[in-house]
Amino acid sequence: MERIQAENKGSWFTQRWWLILLLILLCVAPVALSEFYLTVLCEALVMSMLALSFNLLFGYMGQLSFGQAAFYGLGGYTVAMLMTKAHFNFWLSLVAGVLLAAMVGAIVGYFCVRLRGIYFAVLTLAFGQLIFFIVFKWHNFTGGDDGIQGVFPPEYMKSPVIYYYFLLAVFLGSSYGLWRLVNSPFGQIVKGMRENDIRTEFLGINLARYQLIAFVFAAALAGLAGAVWVPFYRSVAPSYLTWIKSGEPVMAAILGGPSLFFGPVLGMFIMTFFHTWVLGFTVYWPVVMGAMILLIIFFLPGGILGYLQEKVKERKENAQRPRG
Amino acid sequence: MAFLETQDISRAFGKLWAVNRVSLDLRQGDIHAIIGPNGAGKSTYFNLITGYHRATTGKVFYKGKDITRLPAYERCNQGITRSFQITSIYPKLTVYESVLMALLVHRRVSLNFFSPAMKFFKDEVLRILEDIGLADQAHRQGDSISHGDKKRLELAVTVGTEPEILLLDEPTCGMSPEETDTTMSLIRKLCEERGITILFTEHDMAVVFGIAKRISVLHQGRLIADGTPQEVRESEDVQKVYLGGTA
Repeated sequence: MERIQAENKGSWFTQRWWLILLLILLCVAPVALSEFYLTVLCEALVMSMLALSFNLLFGYMGQLSFGQAAFYGLGGYTVAMLMTKAHFNFWLSLVAGVLLAAMVGAIVGYFCVRLRGIYFAVLTLAFGQLIFFIVFKWHNFTGGDDGIQGVFPPEYMKSPVIYYYFLLAVFLGSSYGLWRLVNSPFGQIVKGMRENDIRTEFLGINLARYQLIAFVFAAALAGLAGAVWVPFYRSVAPSYLTWIKSGEPVMAAILGGPSLFFGPVLGMFIMTFFHTWVLGFTVYWPVVMGAMILLIIFFLPGGILGYLQEKVKERKENAQRPRG
Repeated sequence: MAFLETQDISRAFGKLWAVNRVSLDLRQGDIHAIIGPNGAGKSTYFNLITGYHRATTGKVFYKGKDITRLPAYERCNQGITRSFQITSIYPKLTVYESVLMALLVHRRVSLNFFSPAMKFFKDEVLRILEDIGLADQAHRQGDSISHGDKKRLELAVTVGTEPEILLLDEPTCGMSPEETDTTMSLIRKLCEERGITILFTEHDMAVVFGIAKRISVLHQGRLIADGTPQEVRESEDVQKVYLGGTA
């Protein structure tokens, strides 16, 4: 076994070359892209964080959350309200946004983790819509359907390029943190609960407790995504919390491949850029998106990245097979 | 003081008493078999001890402590682990990862959120896999190994929780005679070398009488005999049940 590990170590760069290439591309993107496309890239990064948070629950734990946007919206609203109404410091507002999303995640999660499958999905949907309606109807406090405008980042971060690098750093930092989480002992238990919850319970795991912890992590990451997005976009609206928004990470995960860490990120990048491109000649984006999802489900059921991984595996196996 | 004790334990499903006032002591270090015809209540009795089902009446004591109301995971943390009649493994995890899971839980590092899981307990996992005879399959996925190996994988996973009592629900079900022999000597080895107390159910009477130090017989939810293999063999009630009469 040590030999296998040594081989893996030796080929770290050959295995991860694509990751390094992507990092370089992301770092030089502001030079190559127009301001418009840089904005689209920023949106893709933020939405990818939302997709990653969703996939912690879906791909790793095996539970379909249909209310992830509620935490995204809560993070955004917390930052917007603290900065415009209480004139809070930008950084403290971000922390508050993450904490509030995590706290609400703990309350919502407390009820949801007792359920499995479709019941879990429907309850997260119900809680998500509940939070949406509170924000939407409470006009005096949240601005109702007007949302909140005029949320500005600090002076030194107003340039889109600088804010882009900030978003990139947050995206990379949270991806790395999540990567460590899913490969940690806790992550191993989370995968075990997806594979066989009864067996895991009979190893001595309190299923509800572990699912709740994962749920809170996911809510916090979604909250962080919302919190960093709003100052860039300068405003927040109730549409951030709707179930339609919650559907985006679901589709991104299916498109990219939920069984791989970066699957949902790829899905979200494709969706965001494709969306922008399609809007150039038609407003019927949902039709295009629906057709795309149909094609994926029928022809690439493991998602795009899942399909690629399968192909690479096949090629490796063929290469290893003795000839003759 | 009995190691594990059930006092008048019963479980009803609607009007059917699947287990009916069963009182039984389990001594530390024993290999104890529960036998009985289909539907005798063996699996339900297992479920009552491990917390899969709640008892309708009666109590379960473990090392003198009442554990009747403890949830399943808590009983497992105290040293009572089980396997299932229908093999219960992790289909998409490797054999190595599956055993690792058990050790991560039992050695209380499962709330570590940052260190790579694969760095933990390498020697312990490999030792268990070697003891069980799965070392050469360590990197294969759970659903890609043979039926007999799956059964043994589940055994390896339960051993990973370092139990004091291991309840095995038909550990050789569906195995070939050779596999059955290796598994049973493995179980004896676990009992002798790791000091694990074993409670198991089994259909194959040759296996039961070959390995068990004590045998209890259930019939229609009731305990009709309990003693050494010799005593059970000579019991009239048992002969009636197994020769087709009704007790």
